[in-house]
Amino acid sequence: MNTGPALVSILRQGSTLVASIHTALNDTEMVRFQQDLIRQIGEHRARGVIIDVAALDVLDSFASRTLRAVAEMARLRGASTVVVGIQPEVAYAMVELGTGGDALTTALDLEDGLALLADLGQSGPARG
Amino acid sequence: MTTARASDREGPTDAAEVEALIPVLRRVVRARVGSHPQAEDLVQETLARVLAARERIEPGMLEPYAIATARNVVASLWRQGDRAVRNAHRLFDPGRPDGADDVVIATEQTAAVGRALAQLSEDERRLLLAHEVTGQDTRSLAEAADSTAGAVAARLKRIRARLRVEYLLALDDVEPPSDRCRAVLVALSGADRRRQDELDTERHLLECPLCARLSEPLVERGPVRSDEAHVPIAEAADIVTARHRARELAARAGFDGVDLTLIATAVSEMARNIVRFADNGEVSVRLLDRPRRGIRVIVRDTGPGIPDVDRALQDGYSTDEGLGLGLPGARRLMDEFLVESSQGNGTTVKMTKWIKRG
Repeated sequence: MNTGPALVSILRQGSTLVASIHTALNDTEMVRFQQDLIRQIGEHRARGVIIDVAALDVLDSFASRTLRAVAEMARLRGASTVVVGIQPEVAYAMVELGTGGDALTTALDLEDGLALLADLGQSGPARG
Repeated sequence: MTTARASDREGPTDAAEVEALIPVLRRVVRARVGSHPQAEDLVQETLARVLAARERIEPGMLEPYAIATARNVVASLWRQGDRAVRNAHRLFDPGRPDGADDVVIATEQTAAVGRALAQLSEDERRLLLAHEVTGQDTRSLAEAADSTAGAVAARLKRIRARLRVEYLLALDDVEPPSDRCRAVLVALSGADRRRQDELDTERHLLECPLCARLSEPLVERGPVRSDEAHVPIAEAADIVTARHRARELAARAGFDGVDLTLIATAVSEMARNIVRFADNGEVSVRLLDRPRRGIRVIVRDTGPGIPDVDRALQDGYSTDEGLGLGLPGARRLMDEFLVESSQGNGTTVKMTKWIKRG
């Protein structure tokens, strides 16, 4: 169905999955991304998930809601989620739009995200 | 052959003598070709040749001459047949012949032009024909009508716009369902922006399938405008297209990064409403120059309409759970925000953002 370059990549680093969204996703693609990610958490026995949205110029209400849903599902599968790379304009727009709620754990960039996950792992339940 | 000249004879061979040869010639020809459909033609051909040559035929030699001619004519028929078979392949014409439908279409088009012209007033018709057919220039036409060349040119432009509409209607042999249809089509045909805005032609095109179809050639021939974009919205993928186009245009107008994101987000929210609630709609984006530089996004749909617009604009009615319309959020992203909606007649959201000074 999709023959172009990958819209999303999901890479594993230790017990962490790093999912990068490379381009604006439409709703269908967003939902597929969500399903892929949740499935891979089980496959790789991931304890942490980083979603990199640095390439996105817009996070509208649907996208924010989907990200929150991903984080919630990941939590139920035993993984913590950190969203990294929200651009300053996007952050501004999310607050104005009213979708900047506190349900998402975020970090500035990938480095901070990994550090945050490490902290969460230490303070959370014993690692397997 | 005979070398004697006709003038040496007692007189030219009589036509009646030639006619008398017919039964003999028929026998000769039939003996060779049987009941070939061209048998009678061959007889006539022979007679024609004999008549043409009768001045040169010696008296008494008429019958032998005619019989020899008949044999030659028959022989040449066979040769012709052979040649036709040999050359048949050359007759193949790789070009597309004028199909019967092409001819029919051309006829219909001519008739449609006639009917369209008949819709114009006598005066309009005379002016148009004087200019287009006779080639009279606008200046001389203006003098005759005690007017100015500019006014005549403008009038001609309006007449042509109407003629195009009448032609399309005549070609389709339809009468538009409402009074507005003609006005909308003429405004589109004349590329008259002010009139188009007055009539809200875009909404009409969403609602009236006939005008939507007929207007296609009218809109295509208009100048391609680089300061506006129209994106039809029918499925989720169109939302992304709409916000990209809006962003492109806004960037050209000179909006900064934050505003570009705000505009794109607002477009995304409103376009999503179309997909979720209405199935069919359009996002049109236009750059503004007055009173300041800015961008106006108009989102139209033919959905069920919003029962209580005031309530839909309140925070809280719109929730993040997918039940709300995102109107209050989008309103905060833009400078001006106007919702028109009535139940059963769809919704129009007009939102504007101005470039900040400084």
